[in-house]
Amino acid sequence: MDLKGLAVSPGIAIGKVYIFHPFTPTIINEHIDPHRTQTTLKQYANAKKTAAAELTALIQKMAAEDEDKAKIFKAHRDILEDEALDEEICNLIESDYYNASWAVETVFKKYMDILNKKTDALLRERIADMRDVQNRLLRNIDGIKEQTLAALKYPSIIVTGDLLPSDTATMDRANVLGILTEMGGATSHSAILARNYEIPAVLGVENVTKRVRNGQTIILDALQGRVIADPDKTMLQEYQERHRQYIEEATAAKQYLNREAVTADGIRIMINLNITSDRKEDLAFSKYSDGVGLFRTEFLYMQQEELPSEDQQFMIYRHVLEEFNGRWVTLRTMDIGGDKPLKCMDLPHEDNPFLGNRAVRLCFSQPQVFLTQLKAALRAAYYGNLEIMFPMISSMDDIRKAKAYLEEAKQELDFCRIPYGKNYKVGIMIETPAIAMIADKVVKEVDFASIGTNDLCQYLLAVDRLNPKVSQYYQSFHPSMFRLISFVASEFNKAGKELSVCGEMGGDPKAACVLIGMDIKKLSMNGSSMAAVKRIIHGISIKKMQEILREIYSYSTAEEIEDCLNDRLAMMI
Amino acid sequence: MYVKKTTIINKSGLHARPASDFVALAKQFKSKIKIKNLHSLEDGAQNGKSIISVLSLAMGQGTPVEISAVGEDEQPAVDALITLIDSGFNE
Repeated sequence: MDLKGLAVSPGIAIGKVYIFHPFTPTIINEHIDPHRTQTTLKQYANAKKTAAAELTALIQKMAAEDEDKAKIFKAHRDILEDEALDEEICNLIESDYYNASWAVETVFKKYMDILNKKTDALLRERIADMRDVQNRLLRNIDGIKEQTLAALKYPSIIVTGDLLPSDTATMDRANVLGILTEMGGATSHSAILARNYEIPAVLGVENVTKRVRNGQTIILDALQGRVIADPDKTMLQEYQERHRQYIEEATAAKQYLNREAVTADGIRIMINLNITSDRKEDLAFSKYSDGVGLFRTEFLYMQQEELPSEDQQFMIYRHVLEEFNGRWVTLRTMDIGGDKPLKCMDLPHEDNPFLGNRAVRLCFSQPQVFLTQLKAALRAAYYGNLEIMFPMISSMDDIRKAKAYLEEAKQELDFCRIPYGKNYKVGIMIETPAIAMIADKVVKEVDFASIGTNDLCQYLLAVDRLNPKVSQYYQSFHPSMFRLISFVASEFNKAGKELSVCGEMGGDPKAACVLIGMDIKKLSMNGSSMAAVKRIIHGISIKKMQEILREIYSYSTAEEIEDCLNDRLAMMI
Repeated sequence: MYVKKTTIINKSGLHARPASDFVALAKQFKSKIKIKNLHSLEDGAQNGKSIISVLSLAMGQGTPVEISAVGEDEQPAVDALITLIDSGFNE
């Protein structure tokens, strides 16, 4: 059986499956014997006690490592000890002879329904918390221990629906050969964790927990995003060889990690880092990079109860700038939309969130939020070299409007006599086909731009890149992508302004060669992609890259282009 | 019964940590405690020792609120809770 998914952390794993199942409760709607009410009440009380102890242990563990996770578990403990819930559950047991699980489920459902009817987005988030507590209670009523990844019996490929931070906090890393999940994307928690720990990971494989068995041997190909279950001897041998080759190349590439990227004919290429927060684990590869090409700021808004204040943001941006000590940091203003609910902001449901009120459009409709971020960025600019970048730009109007808000932010700071940096740069993400096609006009009104190839490909090819059902239509090597990027590159080069690529294409060694052949001298990528990209750059000249580019223009399909690149660059990889 | 009114002044309203602090304080008293959102009387008076009930009143900054208590320590209970709300929960 051959399954497909999104490869988010490179490598190959061959091993036994360990299916990590979150507990699924089974409620039987049976009444208890009337003289068993005291026993049942005790059963419920005991379950509540063990659940509380589990939460306390989690809170203590998290208090040292992660303040935010500790807060979540504290909120869970509050719900567990809720008086109204407790009263009604005991009532159902004592007066209506419900069994413990049934009583818990009934009462929790009643209150979850009440919360569900409210329009306050924050309240609706509490429903998820209630469900979590309900499950914890039900699991303890059944006397089932919490399943953790903390002690694995044998080296395993973890297979699960989704990995939450609470799951990976105590993960037995030495025994995790690979990660395979049903949910999650390239910037999800699972992906970042897997890349940092160099664990091969493939996400987004529909129903995978039902399609493999515990203990089954599978091959996890996290280079192609492929899962092969019950491989035959030939397949196994082939992959063992590929695995060996991959480790060999990854080790060889590692020597390049600490070096600057210079082509065989002496041209320096800037290799920058994409980061998702200012946390230590995200900055792990900072010393190997020339700067930050993409500082994603969504983490400030996701999973937060309240909007981040100007001061909070300022301190975080300053921290990153100081960490990079003079190297340029490109901060992208918040790129959020209706696809993910926010606790701190009411985002009304949209049928088409990726084409909707997101990113800079959302910022225009929430000026206070936008100005707060801009002011924080300007204040931080004083402590390093900052580039401010606007996402989801689709017209010159967007650029002018965003710049106007930046001016307003400066005026507000001036009015309050708050100091800020003066030598920052202003630019945009090029990710909509519309803005890419007028690159000649764009270049006159920005200091720089960065091509977001993931979204550009999505919008250009009209494919939802997160929908596994249409993954074969998402072709990042489609000839139109190269034509469009080429046009943008030539306009930026003519005007002498900086262009970089921060989407996944920039971190793909083969694509990197083509982009460099277009005279793009700045690539930004995940830390785990750097070694291979630096290595391939060292082995090839710009002249050769330009030759390959010319050949690519002659092809009409992504497949032909990929074959061409595989042939021409085989020796380098 | 002892009753007092006040207004929620802290920025995030009676959500998350403030609600948690409110309920933790309420639980320290023996009296039965009720809380009412004066802007939506149809929700009725809710159990002040139940976090879910308090949260479900969805009281943001500026909401007028009524705290009532019945029991042997009803007056100190209401006074303490009103003081907590008026302090803005140290936000």
